[in-house]
Amino acid sequence: MSGWPENPKYLGKRTLRVDGKEKVTGQAKYTYDQHPKGMLYGMILRSKWAAARVNAVDLSPALKIPGVKAAIVIDKTPRDIRFYGQEIAAVAAETPEIAEEAIRAILVDATPNPFVVTPEESLKEGAPSVFRNRQNVSTAKTRTKKNASQGLADAAAVAEVMVSTQVCVHHPLETHGNVIDWSTGDEMTVWASTQAISSVRRGLAKPLGIQQNKVRVISEFMGGGFGAKFQAGVEGVACAKLSKEAGAPVKLMLSRFDNHHSVGNRPCTYQHIKIGADKNGKLTGFISKGFGSAGYASGGETAGGGGGAGFPSPYVYDVDNVESSQVGVAINAGSARAFRAPAHPPACFGMEAAMDALAEKLEMDPVEFRKKNTGHEVRLGQFDIASEKFGWKQKYKKPGTSKGVVKTGIGCTTGEWGGGGKGSQAEVEISSDGTVEVRCGTQDLGTATKTSIAVVAAETLGLRPSDISPKLGDTRYPPSGGSGGSTTSPSVCPAIKVACDNALEELKEVSGMANVTGANWKKACAKIGPDPLVVQGKWREGLSGRGTAGVQMAEVEVDTETGFIKVKKIVLVQDCGLLVNLQTAESQTNGGVIMGISYALYEERVMDEQTGVSLNPNFETYKLPTLADMPEIGLTLQSMPERGVIGIGEPVTVPTAAAIANAVSNAIGARITSLPITPAKVLDALNGETPAVEKLAWDRVASLTTHGDFINLDKQEWIA
Amino acid sequence: MKEPNSNDDKIRFSRRGFIKTAGPTATAVMAGNVDQASAEMERERAEKPLGPGPVAIELNVNGTVHKVSVEPRITLLDVLRNELDLTGAKEVCDRAQCGACTVLLDDEPVNACMMLAVAVQGRKIRTIEGISPNGKMNKLQEEFVKHDAMMCGFCTPGFVTSLTNLLETVPTATDEQIMKACSGHLCRCGTYPHILKAARAAAGRTEVPS
Amino acid sequence: MNKFEYIKATTAESACAAAGKTTRFHGGGIDLLGEMKDYLSSPSRVIDVSGLDRSISDEGDHWKLGGAVRLVDIENHEGLQQSLPGLTQAAEHVGSPQIRNLATVGGNISQHSRCWYYRHPDVKCLKAGGSTCYAQEGINKFHAIFFEGACLSPVVSNLGVALSALDATARVMRAGQVRDMTMEAFYEDADVNPRAHNSLKPDDLVVSVKIPKTRAKSSYVQFSEKETFDWALVSCSAAANMEGDMLSDLRLYLGVVSPIPHTKAAALRKLEGVRLTESAVEQAAAALLQGADTSEHNRYKVPLAKTAVKRAILALGGKK
Repeated sequence: MSGWPENPKYLGKRTLRVDGKEKVTGQAKYTYDQHPKGMLYGMILRSKWAAARVNAVDLSPALKIPGVKAAIVIDKTPRDIRFYGQEIAAVAAETPEIAEEAIRAILVDATPNPFVVTPEESLKEGAPSVFRNRQNVSTAKTRTKKNASQGLADAAAVAEVMVSTQVCVHHPLETHGNVIDWSTGDEMTVWASTQAISSVRRGLAKPLGIQQNKVRVISEFMGGGFGAKFQAGVEGVACAKLSKEAGAPVKLMLSRFDNHHSVGNRPCTYQHIKIGADKNGKLTGFISKGFGSAGYASGGETAGGGGGAGFPSPYVYDVDNVESSQVGVAINAGSARAFRAPAHPPACFGMEAAMDALAEKLEMDPVEFRKKNTGHEVRLGQFDIASEKFGWKQKYKKPGTSKGVVKTGIGCTTGEWGGGGKGSQAEVEISSDGTVEVRCGTQDLGTATKTSIAVVAAETLGLRPSDISPKLGDTRYPPSGGSGGSTTSPSVCPAIKVACDNALEELKEVSGMANVTGANWKKACAKIGPDPLVVQGKWREGLSGRGTAGVQMAEVEVDTETGFIKVKKIVLVQDCGLLVNLQTAESQTNGGVIMGISYALYEERVMDEQTGVSLNPNFETYKLPTLADMPEIGLTLQSMPERGVIGIGEPVTVPTAAAIANAVSNAIGARITSLPITPAKVLDALNGETPAVEKLAWDRVASLTTHGDFINLDKQEWIA
Repeated sequence: MKEPNSNDDKIRFSRRGFIKTAGPTATAVMAGNVDQASAEMERERAEKPLGPGPVAIELNVNGTVHKVSVEPRITLLDVLRNELDLTGAKEVCDRAQCGACTVLLDDEPVNACMMLAVAVQGRKIRTIEGISPNGKMNKLQEEFVKHDAMMCGFCTPGFVTSLTNLLETVPTATDEQIMKACSGHLCRCGTYPHILKAARAAAGRTEVPS
Repeated sequence: MNKFEYIKATTAESACAAAGKTTRFHGGGIDLLGEMKDYLSSPSRVIDVSGLDRSISDEGDHWKLGGAVRLVDIENHEGLQQSLPGLTQAAEHVGSPQIRNLATVGGNISQHSRCWYYRHPDVKCLKAGGSTCYAQEGINKFHAIFFEGACLSPVVSNLGVALSALDATARVMRAGQVRDMTMEAFYEDADVNPRAHNSLKPDDLVVSVKIPKTRAKSSYVQFSEKETFDWALVSCSAAANMEGDMLSDLRLYLGVVSPIPHTKAAALRKLEGVRLTESAVEQAAAALLQGADTSEHNRYKVPLAKTAVKRAILALGGKK
């Protein structure tokens, strides 16, 4: 058993977000809203070149402008610039307008270098090197299991797909940035829009030569991260330096334009998959070759990790005979960072496209075919639940058999995620009036962590969530690690519970009462005395779990004359472990699905090979959906309390795009091979045109993956 | 509240000096008292070039007239956020592409990031702070909380502003009207389904269970 | 944004008197501020004309819209909805409610290129004064497939397309004198001069727009990537008289396929005096799209534009 109460009063039920009122009234103060007395505005000068040698930077014209209080060069010159938008210098001034003037006045002596901003170009013989004396293509990473070629040879049917996925940018609505007061040069106060206050503290202290115990990082409200906000960042270090130099607090928040280039993205992938099954539909073999780019840091010796371009292939389904190899390709573009379920959504798209193609060849129902290839009991059950809720059997038609101009189609996919808890700490302060403050140095990304703290504390102490005053987002509270990898809830909730359990024990001791909860609470607390009772607790094994499965089904309408896709319905079934708060879990799950819809249909960072810039560094052409684009979303959140607390932020976004792509392919009877699925691509697919960009890439993929020494990686970790 | 080194007899304020030396309320007067005067000033100003340096202007925000000194290039959003400390409206895209900076101008939603502050003198500006005086929630806001129509919350004030305006005009707004009112707003966390539910509830309709 | 002087104009005459080569008119301000924030335009003076003529008037045989009439006012005007649905629908498809609450008729029809090369602050393309139209060889998915000149930036004004179909004229004040320009004349420079967004000079002010009531039916359709708050990939507006299923006086223009609203009289003539059948419309659409110069990125616009033509014509008869 998990150690959680058997008949909870609040866990798994609906508790309103504790800071909802502050958010809907505009009172919540984010980093962007901080305005300490005497604050200056910081801004960063960025490279106009995708590749250049910066010989010298002259700040003096900027410093001559009245109102400019500090200016710094980001890095020692001469230095190499590897992407458009890379940081060169920074200023702090009395107004944003003066700061902008100052940025424009700085003189940069640079020699532009040849550049390459798409993997297709980067792969060409003689392409410019992103790093001097280093090839753009990394060593192939290969995974083999038994004999893949034999597996395909033994198959009754083999399907082959070549697919690609785009680069996406996190674009949290609050951009990256900080307000930092280091005006005295001694202690430093940092308001940071971050997913990891402790990492920001460490990330500032080291390069700035300040002791960590002199740095306080605060992040009570933050406007989204999605994996891109774990570090102090170049902008954070610059902000601190400017504050010290100017002797005043400095706000340095990136612009939307800045955010597009320099603070992370989801890598693109290209996947060539061959997959075979026997006549009963059991997979017999799988071969995939792929590549992707995580920006300038991809390729060479730097590929891999959470921000790398690798992806798990095959994905989820059981195959005995596997050969899968991938390379990373460096380009002159900003480096990737973990992006909500790193590597999984593209992997799911490739694998599930192949699965559907194979089901079609075998003339099998796609859901039945999938069920034959997973032994995962939870997942098997999810296929059935989803089928029933969705009406899969009634709705399913063979690909391309939908009649009329507006065709309907359905698709089914599945995903997985690890997650799990780790060493969070928390403390509970109980005062003699019976009030409770719970403190934990975690962050609330909008996922309602603060509310979860109140729920768990209330449950454990026998109080109501509204009786608890939850505090987070301050390095003065017990440390709790970064909020990523769907680890926040499974880390924080157990720590709160343990701290509260410990507090109850101490309260019993202090009060001399055997039962301190319920009707006895006030009486017991009254014995605490003037100094409140402060008790710590730490995450422990057994209260949280890891490893989740989820199934999603999508129904779409495709107007074959316009290529326009309307997602009509998404049904999701997700294993949630012990649900902490159903109310906010639903919000988070909707959010994952919607981000998946956005990945499927709208978002894409577009790079221009001629100029080296990204052409859509704004919300006009980096497209995000609006309310009118939303389908009906049906959620089945499976509560499995015995598994302990499990994070669901990431798993719920994994299968969506693949399900929509399969539904579109099912509707139009032509395989969708590339995300995002724009009207242009639908019309091209209907006209039998292959995206030209893919032709370029696939000409080279075969030779690539046999290049260099092979490293055998039996198991890769794909955690944020 | 003259700028210390100003020898000009016109009222002028240094942008920074303003914040440092006096809170926004120090120069605030109730709207009723100055409406006429400001309309007069407005007529007088028409046709006269203002700027490019700082210009003393009056903005009627949430029923209070604020005197600020701004260059003509300063946007309404920057004045609200940086001068008046009304930070509910957010800067997100800075190009009228997301709706997070939405305020009501004479009771119509507009993007404050794309408006010059000098151009809106004499107009009635209402922000999320004016919609929720002293943090008091209206029906829509209560429904937002009840339906958890927010996550990170950065887009939320914008949605609330547009929808409050809709429901003040059309108390029983249809889904179509709600969609239209929300069409200029982006949310990155994906709170749209709950926003729709909250707005429906505020329009007096309960959710049909799916 | 660079510094500038600001003038709130009270009359068209005084607005024009204050204008010069380095000034810009400010209608709703959204297009203008976008350009100024990205330093594509740094006027010495901004002349606010948003308070000028905001009247919508029924003048018997035509409608007159003041240059400062806002898109929201067109969209919600019952008389216009009845009389010129093509126009009100075109207005309704612009941006967002926030934008339509500010954007003006004058500003919408004279708006500048949305080409992503042109709009990029660090790309100096042909239109921005450089020597290369990067869209020619680059990623031109949103660009023109018909063009006379060297710039592929397409016309994106919804109203421009609708007003072309409605045979409207724009009254423009130039150096104190007013002149009436057909929509063809209003845009023609954009097709031949790669630097031009339309035929206006920097100090030309759109005073009003006159729309004849000669065509009883009108329609506007646009196809975008998103349901709302998105630019058209292709738009189409048609206007005609209709008796039964016979069309006469048909005018039809495609938007976002050419630097100017695109039409071909010969193609439209195929639909005059014949019964409106699907195949007749398809033939006309094919003729209208004949000679499109496409790339891998924008070849989709040909089938899309054909659909736009078909649906715009069907909509004349009240069908969607």
